[in-house]
Amino acid sequence: MRRARAGQLLALLWLAAAALLMLLPFWNLLVFSSHSSAEIFGLPPPADIGAQFPANLQALSATPFWQAMFNSAYVVLMSTLLCLAVSSMAGFALAVYRFRGQSVVLALAVLGMLLPPFMTVVPYFFWINQLGWLDQYRAVYMPAAVSGMGVLLMRQYICSAIPRCLLEIGRLDGCSEWRLYLQIVLPLCKPALATLGVVSFIAAWNSFLLPLVVLPSPEHYTVHVALRAMQSAAGGEWGVVMTGAMFAVLPTLAVLIIAARHWRSILSMTADAEN
Amino acid sequence: MTPRRLSPHGVAPYLFLAPFLLLFILFVAVPFAGSLWLAFRHGDAATGLAGLDYVGWHNFRFAGSDPLFWHSLGNTLMLTVMAGVPQHLLALGLSWAIYTRLGRASGWAGFVCMLPYVTSAIAIALVFMTLLSTEYGLINRWLALVGLGPVDWLHDELWVKVSIAALVCWRYAGWNTVLYLTALQALPASLLDAAAIDGATGWRRYWYVVLPQLRPMIVLASTLTLIGGCQLFDESFILAPDGGTSQSALTTSAYLYRLAFVNGDLGGATAMAWLLLVSTVTLIVAYQLLWGRGLWRRMA
Amino acid sequence: MKRCLQAPIAACALALLSSAALAQNLTVAVFPKLDEAVKLALPVWQQRHPDIPVRLVTLGYADHHNRLATQLAGSTGAPDVVGIESTYLGRFKAAGVLENLAMTPYHANRLEAQFVHYAYTQATARNGAVYALPADVGPGTLFYRKDLFDKAGINEADLTGSWASLLDAGRKLKARSGLYLLANAHDMKNLYLRAAAEEGEGLYFDQAGRPLVESPRFVRAFELARTVRREGLDAKISPWTNEWAAMLRSGKIAAVGSGSWFAGQLSSWVAPDTAGKWRAAQLPAHRFAAWGGSFYAIPKRAANKALAWEFIQLLTTDPKTQLATMRAPALQALPALVTALRDPYVDTPMPFFGGQPARQLWRHAALATPASPLDRNDPVAEELVNAALDAVLFKDKDIRAALRDARTQIEQRIRR
Repeated sequence: MRRARAGQLLALLWLAAAALLMLLPFWNLLVFSSHSSAEIFGLPPPADIGAQFPANLQALSATPFWQAMFNSAYVVLMSTLLCLAVSSMAGFALAVYRFRGQSVVLALAVLGMLLPPFMTVVPYFFWINQLGWLDQYRAVYMPAAVSGMGVLLMRQYICSAIPRCLLEIGRLDGCSEWRLYLQIVLPLCKPALATLGVVSFIAAWNSFLLPLVVLPSPEHYTVHVALRAMQSAAGGEWGVVMTGAMFAVLPTLAVLIIAARHWRSILSMTADAEN
Repeated sequence: MTPRRLSPHGVAPYLFLAPFLLLFILFVAVPFAGSLWLAFRHGDAATGLAGLDYVGWHNFRFAGSDPLFWHSLGNTLMLTVMAGVPQHLLALGLSWAIYTRLGRASGWAGFVCMLPYVTSAIAIALVFMTLLSTEYGLINRWLALVGLGPVDWLHDELWVKVSIAALVCWRYAGWNTVLYLTALQALPASLLDAAAIDGATGWRRYWYVVLPQLRPMIVLASTLTLIGGCQLFDESFILAPDGGTSQSALTTSAYLYRLAFVNGDLGGATAMAWLLLVSTVTLIVAYQLLWGRGLWRRMA
Repeated sequence: MKRCLQAPIAACALALLSSAALAQNLTVAVFPKLDEAVKLALPVWQQRHPDIPVRLVTLGYADHHNRLATQLAGSTGAPDVVGIESTYLGRFKAAGVLENLAMTPYHANRLEAQFVHYAYTQATARNGAVYALPADVGPGTLFYRKDLFDKAGINEADLTGSWASLLDAGRKLKARSGLYLLANAHDMKNLYLRAAAEEGEGLYFDQAGRPLVESPRFVRAFELARTVRREGLDAKISPWTNEWAAMLRSGKIAAVGSGSWFAGQLSSWVAPDTAGKWRAAQLPAHRFAAWGGSFYAIPKRAANKALAWEFIQLLTTDPKTQLATMRAPALQALPALVTALRDPYVDTPMPFFGGQPARQLWRHAALATPASPLDRNDPVAEELVNAALDAVLFKDKDIRAALRDARTQIEQRIRR
C-alpha cells in the first residue's frame, strides 16, 4: 500500500514537471510581453511580470497588427469552411460509391500529405501570378483548403459511422444524391467535421511562408507576417513583438479549449485517418 | 462495411469529387509539376520564368557532388533520431502516467500536451533563444545552481544539435502523448483486468500486456515523426539561423531554403528537394516494411 | 447562370481597378531603419504631390530581400521604389530586374560626382549601367572602449597602428584586465578581409566573378583570426545575440570592428548606458573599408517609374533629406551625398563618443574607401568562408587546405 502511494506521488510529480516544462515558454511569453526591449535584453533577463504591458499594447495598436489579426481570421475562416465542404464531399464520394479511379484519388490524397510545402512555393508564386491572383486572399485560402488528410478522415468516418441502410431508406424516399449528402450524411458527421475544422484552423492560422510570398501588401498581411515585419535583425521592439505573439497564440488556444472536451474522439479520428 | 457499386449514380461520385480534384490540380499538382520543371532549370527566381534556362540533369549532378547537401542530410537524420527517440519514450511514459493516474482530468492533460504543438514557431523563437543563452539564460542559471555548466547551447557543434532536438521534443512530445493516450483509452478494460488477475503488475504488465497493444500506434506515430524529421526546418532556423558553427545545425530543408531564397539558385534547391522527397519516401517504405505489418495494405 | 453574373462582376472590377489606377500612389518597399529615412522625406513629398500618397511597405531585413526575389518577377505587385542593402545588391543587379538608371529619362550617370565614390561604384555595372542610387554609406571603423584601453595603458596609436599592434593591444588587455579584444575570431577575419581589399577587388570575387579565396588576403585574415582564437583574445560569442549585447554593455569586450552605422545600434539599444566611454578610430594599418550601406532602385516592372525616380532623387540627392537622416537619433545614417557630408553638422561632437566628432572620421573614411565591386555570389562565398574558418578554429585544419576546399565548394555552388 505504501509503495503504491509512493508510486502515485512519483507519477504525479513527473506529470507536474512535464506540464511545467510545456507551459514554461508560455509563461516567458507573458513575462516578455510586459517588458520593454531593453529589459528583455537586460542582464539578467526578466523572470517576472513587468509593468510595460499597457505601453506595449499601445505601441502594438499603432501598427497594423489588429488589421492583420482580422485578415488572418478571414483567411482562416474561408480556408476552414472550404476545406470542410470540399473534404466532406470527396470523402462522401469515396465512402459511398465504388467507381473507376477510386484508388487513384486515394493515392493522390496521400501524396498530397507527403510533399514538403515550401518546395512548391516558388512555382506556386509564378502560377498565382499567371492567374492574376497575387495579393488576393484566395491565393492563400484556396490551396489551404486542399487537405489529403481531410479527405481520408471524412471517408473513414462516413464508412464507419453511417449505417448503409440509412442511405438506402433515403433513396427509397426519393432523395437525390445531393440531398442524401446534405441532409442525411452531413448532420451525422459533426464530430469528424469538428476534428477537421480544428486541424485545418490551426494549420491555416500558423501558416507563414505562403502568405508572405503571395500577399505583399501590408494591408493584407496575416498575423504571423505582421509579427515578422515588426522584428528587424536587430533593435526591434521585442516587448511589442512578444505582446503581438501572445495575442497571435490566443485563437489557437481558444480552439484547443473548445475542443478539449472532445479530445478522445478527435485524436482517435485523426490517427485513424492517417492510418 | 464495403462500398458497393451503385449503378444508377454513374456521375454522382465524380461530381462530389470534382471540387477536391479541381483544387488539388490547381494548387497541388500544378505547383508540383512546376517544381519538377524547375529542377531542370537554372537561374534566379528574380529574373522570372523567362530567365530560367534548361540545364538537363546538371542540378542533380550538382546535388550529388555538393558536400554541404550530404552534410545537411546527415544532420537531418541525426537530429531526427536525437529528437525522435526521447520524444517517443517521453510520450509513452507520460501517456501511461496520465492514463493511470489522472482519470477524468485527462482531457485537460491533453490540452496542455497540445499547447506546444499548436504554437507557431515565430511566437516562441525569441523565448527559446533567451532560455538557452549561455551566460544569462535561465537553463544555464539552473544548471549553475546544481554546480553544472555553463553549456554553450547555441554555438557548440554538438550542443546546438542537442538544443534543437530538445526544442523538437518540446513541440511534439505532447502531441505524441495524446496519440498514445488515445490508443490506451481504446484498449479494452478487460485486458488490464485479465492481466491483473494473472498477477502481472507494474512494469511487467506494461511491458507484456500494454506495449504490444500499442504497437500499431507506435508505428504510426513514429512514421509521422520520421516524415516531420525529414522536413525539419523551423527549429533549426530558430536556434541557428546561419546553420551554426561549421554548419552543424543545418538541416536539409534549411539549406534548400537558403539556396533558393538567399542564393537565388532555384534549380539546385528544387533538384535537392526532389532527392529529399525520394529518400523520405524510401525511408518510410523501408520503415513500414520493417515494422508496420500491412499498414499500406490497409490504406489501399 | 454563373456566366450571367460574371460579366457585370468583371465590369465592376475593371471600374474599380481603373479608378484605383487614377488615384495613383507610390509604393516604397524597404527594410527596418530605412523606413525611418523614407518617413523623414514624406512631408516634402506630400507638399509636392498632395494627390499621390506614399505607401510604405516594411518587412524584416531578410524577409524583405527574400520576398523581393520573387516579387520583382511577378507581373503585378512590384513596388515602385525598393530599398536594397549592399549585401543583396549584387544579386539584384545581376538578375536584370532593376531599371538601368543611366538611360533616358534618368541619366543617373550625371550624378556620379555627387556621391561617395565607393557607394556609387557599387551600384553600377562595368558596362556603365546604374542600377541604384546610394542612400547611406557605412565606412568601416573600429569602435573601442577608451576607458578600458586607458586602464590597460594602451593608446589609440598602439591599437590601430598595424595589425600586429592590434594583436599586441589585445594581448596586453587580456594580461592586464582579463578583457577580450573582440567578440569573435570571425570579427578579426572580417575586419582584415574588408580592410585589405584594393580598389576594384571584390570582397570574395574579382571583377570577372572568379573567387579570390586562396589569395594572400584570405590566408592572412585566417592567420590573424587563428591567432586571436589561440591566444584567447576573443570572447567566442556570436554577434547579435543576448550575451554579445550583454558583454558589450558590461565592458567585457573592448572593441568592435563594423560600419559607421553600428554607432546608431550601439547607442540606441546595444549598450546605451556606456555613453561617453566609446571612441571611434580608423581601421588598423591606415586602411579603409566598405562595410554596408543602403540603396534605392526602381524595379523594371514598377508601375510609376517617373514618380519613383522623383522620389529616389528626393531621398538621395536632396541635401535636406540626407541631412535629416543623419540627424535623426534612431537613424544616424551617414549620407552618401557628398554635399551633405560637407555640412557643418558632421563636425559636431558626439556625446556618446565622449564628445569626439566621430563623423569627421567617417567622412574621411567614406571618401577614401576604395570601390570594392559587389558580386551576386557574395552570400554564397561568405557562408563557405565562414565554415572554412570554423574548420580552422575548431578542428585545427590547415589554413591553405581549408581555403582550397572553400574555393572548390564556391566554384561548385556558383558553377556556370
